Amino acid sequence: MATTDQDGPAVPDASHILVRGAGKTYGSGERATTALADVDLSVPRGRFVSVIGPSGCGKSTLLRLVAGLEEPDTGDVSIFGATAREASAAKSIGFVPQVPALLPWLSVLDNVRVLDKVNRRAGRRRREAAGPAVAGCELAGDPVQLLTRLGLGDALDQRPGQLSGGMKQRTAIARAFALQPDVLLMDEPFSALDEFTREAVQLQLLDVWHETRTTVLFVTHSVTEAVLLSDTVVVMAARPGRIAAVVEIGLDRPRRHGHLDSDTMHACEHEVRARLEQAWTDVLPRDLV
Amino acid sequence: MSGADTWTARAGRRVRRVLRAAARPLHPRWWLPTVVALAAAAVVWTLVARANPYVLPALGAVGDQLSTQPGFYLRNAAATLQEALLGLVAGSLAAFALAVAISESSLLRRAVMPLVVVLNVTPVVAIAPALVVAFGFGVLPKLIVTALITFFPVLMNTATGLRSVAAPVLQVFRTVDASRADVLWRLRIPSALPYVFAALRVVFPLSIVGAIVAEFSAAGATQGLGTVISVASSNSQLDRVFAAIACLALMGAVLLLLVTALERRVLSWHESQARPS
Ligand SMILES: Nc1ncnc2c1ncn2[C@@H]1O[C@H](COP(=O)(O)OP(=O)(O)O)[C@@H](O)[C@H]1O
Ligand SMILES: [Mg+2]
Repeated sequence: MATTDQDGPAVPDASHILVRGAGKTYGSGERATTALADVDLSVPRGRFVSVIGPSGCGKSTLLRLVAGLEEPDTGDVSIFGATAREASAAKSIGFVPQVPALLPWLSVLDNVRVLDKVNRRAGRRRREAAGPAVAGCELAGDPVQLLTRLGLGDALDQRPGQLSGGMKQRTAIARAFALQPDVLLMDEPFSALDEFTREAVQLQLLDVWHETRTTVLFVTHSVTEAVLLSDTVVVMAARPGRIAAVVEIGLDRPRRHGHLDSDTMHACEHEVRARLEQAWTDVLPRDLV
Repeated sequence: MSGADTWTARAGRRVRRVLRAAARPLHPRWWLPTVVALAAAAVVWTLVARANPYVLPALGAVGDQLSTQPGFYLRNAAATLQEALLGLVAGSLAAFALAVAISESSLLRRAVMPLVVVLNVTPVVAIAPALVVAFGFGVLPKLIVTALITFFPVLMNTATGLRSVAAPVLQVFRTVDASRADVLWRLRIPSALPYVFAALRVVFPLSIVGAIVAEFSAAGATQGLGTVISVASSNSQLDRVFAAIACLALMGAVLLLLVTALERRVLSWHESQARPS
């Protein structure tokens, strides 16, 4: 299960990312928007978990809370036993925003390496703590190899201005993997890509993830994408943002194009859609008032 | 054999391409409009100069001035250029440093910005005579006037540029707990460079205006094209006045070329430098 229904303060847990009773309200008085209300979420280490829901249901807000970019008004967040602040101070969070957020004056390769030069002390400590090479470390630890695996081997020296949208987003993903973080947070990274590019990039992401097995929290509004990529799909509902259902995806890995058409995949998609619709109709009556 | 053939073919193509590129300015379609416009301006000038010699000197007289006394004009141009460049460097550096400081401290911004705005709305031309009284006829008052003129555009543009980093980039840096210094050096300053250059393109030519204004105000100054102009016009030596003006125009053009070349090098990554294909 990806959610817990236990109450009480978050117990530091070294094997899970825990969000407990998290609430977040923007603005005050008449104009207040409750972006999140009482959200509980638990992501076991090494799992690929997607968060899906309609626009405005608080997916990005949830991700920002986990990334430590914002503090929850109520509840708390723990990342493998540490607070979000401690986790980012230790460089254990990789963040891929919706737009690629590359530095236009650096080459693709330098964009992937630029975070090495930031907060060096935490980087050194992470390398010491890692000790003997973990599986997948070799790939993630080598930016050139990583970029090559993501199909950017020929573009290492190009500037972001010369790249297509898909190439930019793959560069941003490579930058996040290169940190060798404990958790990767991705906010609709493929939503701006055309369908062909998106499918290609999804499979490349799976390919790299399969080797690194980094814990991933992935925000999307595409059911197909969520099912293809994830072990677990968390369905959110809006107003206020909350978790409506959790669907386990029992598809085998590694997943390939063939899976896009399998019956199991269709069954999973069907279930996620049904949960989304249910969450949506729960909201409708209030919308009509 | 075929390798040699393709090599010669390739070399031939390249030579033709280079020749075509070099020949483009030689084609009448390229230079004719400019030449016609210049000739028309010269004709109008000559007509006005002939009808009214106290408005414009004959072009030939201006040319004579420049060709018979090149040393005189070069020396005075060098003096003015020196004042302009020194002021430019001092003003730009101070503005850049202050922009960085106020972008890092909102306390400092609130303290300093009102002063800066007051300074900006004060006409520098009005301050120049006072500066001459205070600092004499040397380089210093001219340097200060030029620096003041340079200061405000560079400050405002740099401050805007330092704030121009997109939020998602800042978020990525924050999730790895980047220090303020890292954000400043690796994000804010590079992002500000296009804005800094936009300001420099404006203030490079303006710096000459600053130097001239300061020279006009320092009635006893012995050097500089501004001094040449004010002395010559009080003696009704129009040819000398316009020879000095021609030098100033040329200096402005050279400075603009300089800053453009610098921009091409530093901002090769920026979309403003994309060459039309
Ligand atoms: N910084 C903010 N200030 C005010 N309202 C916000 C802010 N961020 C998000 N919201 C509001 O919170 C709600 C959830 O937003 P968000 O988390 O971006 O949703 P999603 O990513 O699912 O589309 C929306 O109603 C949005 O308007
Ligand atoms: Mg969002």
